[in-house]
Amino acid sequence: MGGSRAGLHTLVGAYVMDAAPEADRTAFERHLTGCEPCREEVRGLREATARLAAAVAVEPRPELREQTLRAASRLRQLPPPVARQRDGTIAARLSRWTRLTGAVRQSWLARLAVTAAVILAVVVVGLSLHLTSMQHRLSTDAQGSHAIAQIIGAPDAKMMTAKVRTGGVATVVMSHRVMELVFTASKLSALPASRAYELWLMGPSGVKPAGLLPPAHDGMTGPMVVRGLEHGDRLGLTVEPLGGSPHPTTGPIVMMSLGI
Amino acid sequence: MPDLPADDAGARREEPARPAAAGHDLEVAIRAVARGDERAFSVVYDQAAAAVLGTVRRVLRDPAQSEEVMQEVLLEVWRSAARFDPASGSGLAWIMTFAHRRAVDRVRTEQRASERELRAARASVDYDEVIDAVEVRLEHERVRRCLGALTELQRESVTLAYYGGYSYPEVARLLGVAVGTVKTRMRDGLIRLRDCLGVE
Repeated sequence: MGGSRAGLHTLVGAYVMDAAPEADRTAFERHLTGCEPCREEVRGLREATARLAAAVAVEPRPELREQTLRAASRLRQLPPPVARQRDGTIAARLSRWTRLTGAVRQSWLARLAVTAAVILAVVVVGLSLHLTSMQHRLSTDAQGSHAIAQIIGAPDAKMMTAKVRTGGVATVVMSHRVMELVFTASKLSALPASRAYELWLMGPSGVKPAGLLPPAHDGMTGPMVVRGLEHGDRLGLTVEPLGGSPHPTTGPIVMMSLGI
Repeated sequence: MPDLPADDAGARREEPARPAAAGHDLEVAIRAVARGDERAFSVVYDQAAAAVLGTVRRVLRDPAQSEEVMQEVLLEVWRSAARFDPASGSGLAWIMTFAHRRAVDRVRTEQRASERELRAARASVDYDEVIDAVEVRLEHERVRRCLGALTELQRESVTLAYYGGYSYPEVARLLGVAVGTVKTRMRDGLIRLRDCLGVE
């Protein structure tokens, strides 16, 4: 058991300073839902920590302003919150949706979009970091960022993750409508200098190279846009000699079904 | 300036002066951002980016990484502006909740224990950095005096957690006191700070 109510309540300080370990945080948040005075205390203490923040403000370099504003103008915003929806995954919703009549389709479409957007927000925040740091490095690559924003902002965008056999996690955000996907990975194992990770589309029409992954940055790889998807394709990742191969020379370390 | 707070004001309740960066404008701007107003977003940036960057830098130390996180946080604000509920706090508190959480997540996943031990000593003594903006200097001064009114253990617990990004078990280890004590000190330290700063 996570301790008494009073014991939990003293966590409030650590909680608002993000100093509570995961288990405590979860327990405390559960406690919060049923405790109005606690929520009030959290509110007040958060104002106090905001003052701690304001007291150490440091003016950012001027060029960051323009970069950030530009990146924002390309990012789709989340819609306002709607009534809580906890009744299932996107996939479950999709299958329910297919049983619905045309009359209610519109509202379901809208809600689907909302659900997708909520889930995507998590990914997008990670990706937006890369969008902005990409701007740092390749100021001319507006096209790339735009393509990524298109896919992750698509109303039917869907996120999938898979563990990579040799370490790390691969994440795909794909839009069936656009028939393109964005690939990112975190914490992939470092490779010897002579090797590189290569993506493949593997389907009924054969195995097509889908691009070499760029070097990781802060443990994050990508994002990479993969185009030219065909029905039945799956996404695979292999380790290849630097510069890539026309065909995979090693077994895939992750395979992801794309549902197409 | 006639009403610079006197240095001996100690722990008395401050005037309801809020830092310039947390004015009412910020909440108004966030509401406008929720409707896709890009100009309002530049107002949000101007009012909050420095607090975000300063805080993230305290926690992460690495200037380049801190800039990235600052931008990431501001973009998150852009994306989720429609979720901002003024009833649950000020705009700055809302933004700083994202910012601090993100900095701490980053430091916990990426920094090796040894580096963190090294940072420990610095987190508490680094408080007085050079600060140029007048409002920031004033706010800094107020906060410094209110921090000065805490007991040493309260102050260390709060600064190690907030500026150092340490969890309470880590703080307990660093200070060589019981975990339960640190938890309590974090809470009553922040309460005292809140009252001293006149947070409504």
